[in-house]
Amino acid sequence: MADAVLLVIGACFVLPLLWLVLGSLDPAAGHGTKVPLRPALDNFSAVLTPELLFRPLWNSLLLSAGTGAVTLAAAVLAAYPLSRFRSRFNTPFLYGILFGTCLPVTAIMVPVYGLFVQLQLLDSLPATVLFLSATSLPMAIWMTRNFMDAVPLAVEEAAWVDGASRLAALRSIVLPLMGPGLGVVFIFVFIQAWGNFFVPFVLLLSEANQPAAVSIFSFFGQYGAVAYGQLAAFSILYSLPVLALYGIVARGAGNPLALSGAVRG
Amino acid sequence: MLRRVSATVSLLAAAALALAGCTPADPAGGKTIKVAYQKTDSFTALDTMFQDAKKEFEAAHQGVTVELQPIQANDDDYGTKLALALRSPATAPDVFYEDTFKVRSDVDAGYLLNLDSRLAAWKDWDKFDAGAKEAGKADDGGTYAVPLGTDTRAIWYNKKVFEAAGIALPWRPATWQDILDTARKIKASNPTVIPFNMYAGKGTGEGTVMQGFYELLYGTGAGLYDQDAKKWVVGSAGFKDSLTFLQTLYQENLAVPPADALDPNVWKKVFGDWFPKAQLGATVEGSYTPSFWQKGGSYEWPAYAQDMGVAPFPTRNGGAPGAVSMSGGWTLAVGAETKQPDLAFTFLTTALNAKNSLQFTVASSQIAVRTDVAADPGYQSANPFVKDVSSLVSVTRYRPATSDYPRISAAVQEATEAVITGKRTPEQAAADYDTAVAGIVGGDKTVRK
Amino acid sequence: MARHHQRRQLARYLPVLPAILLLAVFLAGPVLWAFQASLTNAGLTGRHARNPEWVGLENYQRLLQDPVFPLSLALTVLFVGGSAVLGQNVLGLALAVLLRRARPAVSAVVGTAVVAAWVLPEIVAAFAAYAFFSRDGTLNQLLGGMGLAEVDWLYAVPMLAVIMANVWRGTAFSMLVYRAALGGVPAELTEAAHMDGAGAWQRLVFITLPVIRGSIATNLMLVTLQTLAVFTLIWVMTAGGPANGSSTLPVMAYQEAFKFGDIGYGTAVASVLILIGAVFGAAYLRLLREQKP
Repeated sequence: MADAVLLVIGACFVLPLLWLVLGSLDPAAGHGTKVPLRPALDNFSAVLTPELLFRPLWNSLLLSAGTGAVTLAAAVLAAYPLSRFRSRFNTPFLYGILFGTCLPVTAIMVPVYGLFVQLQLLDSLPATVLFLSATSLPMAIWMTRNFMDAVPLAVEEAAWVDGASRLAALRSIVLPLMGPGLGVVFIFVFIQAWGNFFVPFVLLLSEANQPAAVSIFSFFGQYGAVAYGQLAAFSILYSLPVLALYGIVARGAGNPLALSGAVRG
Repeated sequence: MLRRVSATVSLLAAAALALAGCTPADPAGGKTIKVAYQKTDSFTALDTMFQDAKKEFEAAHQGVTVELQPIQANDDDYGTKLALALRSPATAPDVFYEDTFKVRSDVDAGYLLNLDSRLAAWKDWDKFDAGAKEAGKADDGGTYAVPLGTDTRAIWYNKKVFEAAGIALPWRPATWQDILDTARKIKASNPTVIPFNMYAGKGTGEGTVMQGFYELLYGTGAGLYDQDAKKWVVGSAGFKDSLTFLQTLYQENLAVPPADALDPNVWKKVFGDWFPKAQLGATVEGSYTPSFWQKGGSYEWPAYAQDMGVAPFPTRNGGAPGAVSMSGGWTLAVGAETKQPDLAFTFLTTALNAKNSLQFTVASSQIAVRTDVAADPGYQSANPFVKDVSSLVSVTRYRPATSDYPRISAAVQEATEAVITGKRTPEQAAADYDTAVAGIVGGDKTVRK
Repeated sequence: MARHHQRRQLARYLPVLPAILLLAVFLAGPVLWAFQASLTNAGLTGRHARNPEWVGLENYQRLLQDPVFPLSLALTVLFVGGSAVLGQNVLGLALAVLLRRARPAVSAVVGTAVVAAWVLPEIVAAFAAYAFFSRDGTLNQLLGGMGLAEVDWLYAVPMLAVIMANVWRGTAFSMLVYRAALGGVPAELTEAAHMDGAGAWQRLVFITLPVIRGSIATNLMLVTLQTLAVFTLIWVMTAGGPANGSSTLPVMAYQEAFKFGDIGYGTAVASVLILIGAVFGAAYLRLLREQKP
């Protein structure tokens, strides 16, 4: 009984994705889902060009990796005192952080555009990286602190006794122990930045800087009305990296829930 | 220890930024002119023109690089993207492609460079048509943009569809009623074709008003803007009547289904699909229509010269002057904050010299704004309709040249969308429009007529 | 000594500085800027682009008169209520319950399918949903195949279409939350109820749900906040149309600010959205505090 109901629900979830897969293999694809008469990779070869695919993907990579690195660096630094020292400062800060995770990012895009104009940061990849880092930072700090709490203070103290400084202990003892956790934080921030459409859509104007999320949207406006197959192929190539990364995390972390909050728009 | 921590931070951040920043930058040292313009899969003539101009210009100015920044978007999104970029001096292009109706509001915003002194020194400037020059002027009387070409609008109809429905050719409707009668006749004879389409809704943006609503509105004797009083007209019967005409077209399925009308790409189907396949009787479109079908166009269709006909859009009851047309067109402008105003202007004149202008005018079926181009035999024989559409210049109208216009236009589009989707009656939509106009310009800047 | 201690305390917290700077400049800054800009007539073009004027509460007064605003607010409530509170939340709970009962192979496959829609980049999910609901799309193919009437989903019932699309896209989150919560319900409790002769349904309502009520409240808050911010899905599927029939607050703010170039008015809409978010955020924090013993 449960099996049957589940399979029906599962089918409903798979159906919209089916179009993506079948359409990408069908040179004559339309909106409808159908098994291609002559499946071929034409759609893929059509979008495999530097202008259409590689440059946007490269930009996506810069954006996502940059955001991951900046976020992780800031989060580790912030998490250390929060995890290791007792202070009146900790609780309000953490609640403030948590409140930050509640902010609807779409709501601040208009003001952020205004800010970027004022600071002359429009169309700058590094600045967009910083903004994306700020939006993912609250969740990253929260997660990183939890991971750091799990590393016993005793291990660190042992290193101090051996004459290591706090920073050296952090680097050589604590961070390696947190390795998998940090990897997870990085990957989640990466996935989030990779999939983000609205932020680069508003902040990155020139085509040379646009990541795949935005270029795929202009492709849809330009050719999407005619070349559904290519749109589907483009979408799949763009989605594969994050699906793979999610697979790694889900497998490695065992409990994807602990991190589920990290992926949200 | 703290120094080392902060050193680590800055190192990490620097690494991330370096990673993010290692996209190709401007070539160090040399001067660069950034040129922003629109390019779509069905509009490449401008791209061709700039590519040529870039070669010419760079050959003549050693050490200067022209950086072309084509923006791939429809008119509406191009406008948004350009405005977003113009607002910040850091991203504003040096030379850009600007719709005539945005010139005044962008001058008010301080985005455009005054070109008066430079134009005075440009010998070709005298060759530009005086009427067309108006499009580049601002409220202060100065000229801020140079016209690329202009256009008119008319009814384009498929003779095969009309013949099949038994309609006498050449067709020339004298009133709105003639249009409805003809459309109903086509519908009756072949329910599978779309008899008479007019754009409506926000999807087609400025096309909705330029190739649709204004042909109706100005044919009722009403207007959008009272030029003398400098006030926006609200509450006019003509506005309601025009909406009612659209409602009739859409309700009786004489136009496309409303869902299709809202698709921003519906015009591609008009040119690429429906006309060549004789699935559409007629539509209101610009004089640039042949550019899509002629050799090298995006929807090549050699038979268009015989299969298509063109007729002026009539006034409501056939009153004088008997026809309505709208003119728009695009310009090139120089950014107000450009670091090389002289080079930027020189590039603009290179792009618009006689040779490049002729090529662009023919390739995009524009109505020439340079007298030497207009006199060129290559222009006059570019397509069979040049004479017909050029003659409409005598009755043509322009959009109100005020900086509030773009937002008013959006309100008009909204009204048409509400009516064709059946969400509001023409009366309600017209009332909503009146409220919206008062909200945009303030109640004291409106006048009831 | 005390001062020395204070200074040391301060120094210890220095590493938090980069994070605070980032958050202050890029999150708190724009929020404050939003409230300020919403009191001006700043524009994307026109004379107010360079020199915006202070107009006080004019934009908010205009909001109250604008027929689109109440519509937009109502659509936002409908969207959040329909797709998050009802759709994702209930379906997520149902899935979590079913996944525990089903055969492991089945739950692995179905769980993956649900999560896949969630992990996809939002723009791709939006395209897939657009194609699925479009007039000649998969859903109408299915309906036609079953001999049912076809509907032009995106045009005739745009809100229903975007709500269903958002349920499809976001249910995974609730499912994961509830899966973990159910895992934490002590087996003895349900077993005892089983012995007492309670049916599966009764056990769920009287035993399980009360035990996981904390998770339910948390989940409700989080999905509400996530759904409040959805823009891309709606923008790609309907662009807020037809005739504003699906223009929720984020869509309206974008249109007013960037499409119609009215930055001041657009930020007023955005400010309303930020306030709504803040109210839910504050409620969420209270909830967390209460849950802490």
